[in-house]
Amino acid sequence: MTESTDLVTLSDETPATGEDASGGAVVPAGDQHPVPAHGDADHPGPRQYVLIAVVLVILTGVEVAVSYLEGHINSNVIVVVLAVMAAIKFFLVAAWYMHMKQDSSLFRRMFVGGIILACFVYGVVLFFFSSTVLKS
Amino acid sequence: MTQAVVTADPNEVIPGSHGHEHDTNTGVSNAKLAIWLFLSSEALFFGAFISTYFLYRGRDAQFLKGPIPDKLLNIPFTSVTSFILLMSSLTMVLALAAIQRGDHRRLRIWLLATCLFGATFVGGRVYEITHLYSQGLHLGTNMFGTTFFVLTGLHGAHVTVGIIWLLLVWNRSMQGRLGTDKAEGVEIAGLYWHFVDVVWIFIFTAIYLIPTH
Repeated sequence: MTESTDLVTLSDETPATGEDASGGAVVPAGDQHPVPAHGDADHPGPRQYVLIAVVLVILTGVEVAVSYLEGHINSNVIVVVLAVMAAIKFFLVAAWYMHMKQDSSLFRRMFVGGIILACFVYGVVLFFFSSTVLKS
Repeated sequence: MTQAVVTADPNEVIPGSHGHEHDTNTGVSNAKLAIWLFLSSEALFFGAFISTYFLYRGRDAQFLKGPIPDKLLNIPFTSVTSFILLMSSLTMVLALAAIQRGDHRRLRIWLLATCLFGATFVGGRVYEITHLYSQGLHLGTNMFGTTFFVLTGLHGAHVTVGIIWLLLVWNRSMQGRLGTDKAEGVEIAGLYWHFVDVVWIFIFTAIYLIPTH
């Protein structure tokens, strides 16, 4: 948060390996300006969080409404629409609430790597098992 | 305790660090790296059970012998509990925002609200499982029963672990042992909580909303 109250100030006298008791800030040598100490400088504020929650609730409502359209429209269309909305909700929570947009790209790569691996492995399992082992 | 890194060049910005470099080989917090790695493995864990559910759904002989999902599952009730779990993600992120600006009173309020929402969600799952059992759907009744109870049961166990974790964080804060410099601990608990919420988004869609036929 930009309104963070716990600030760190390091001056020219700061040792090159200076340890910060408050933790986790990069401060260029000679920089006199205080910087937020907790990796939260780029995080959204409460207003954005509430806005995301409103969008999530609306999407959930639409999802439930779409599920009741079974019999009125093609089931495959329902499945695709529901999958897309679930993916959007996943993205909103991961990007904003889990701060994947603001945090180090290493975290993003690690998490997305796991998701892609899971999709690939279980996609292959579903494809081969449904067409061979469990073919009925 | 994390460390500040002082660079030689006052204008130097370390790519991807967002101004918060850690004194580790990767340049990021080891604890956060560990939780992201754990969540990545959890994606594979839950992926196994969700794909098993999809593997057997629609295979009428094995899947729908006995009570069938369409007649048993209460979508309006589960939608409300899903809404509650979504709201718990909001209160969790508000708790993190509170400790990051040093507001410990609001941190405790939002943490308790998150635990309350989580407990309500778990209560809803327990009610549903009890109801399904009374309707004759057991773990071994059919493949739907097996995949449903294992998947939702494991998720419920994860939510329960999350509640206990958050209560421990709340307790630390009450004892005055959770300073603003420990905000990363709240963030890590929050990452776990949001992941559990994200997993439910897919379970809810897969089991309750996608048509069985």
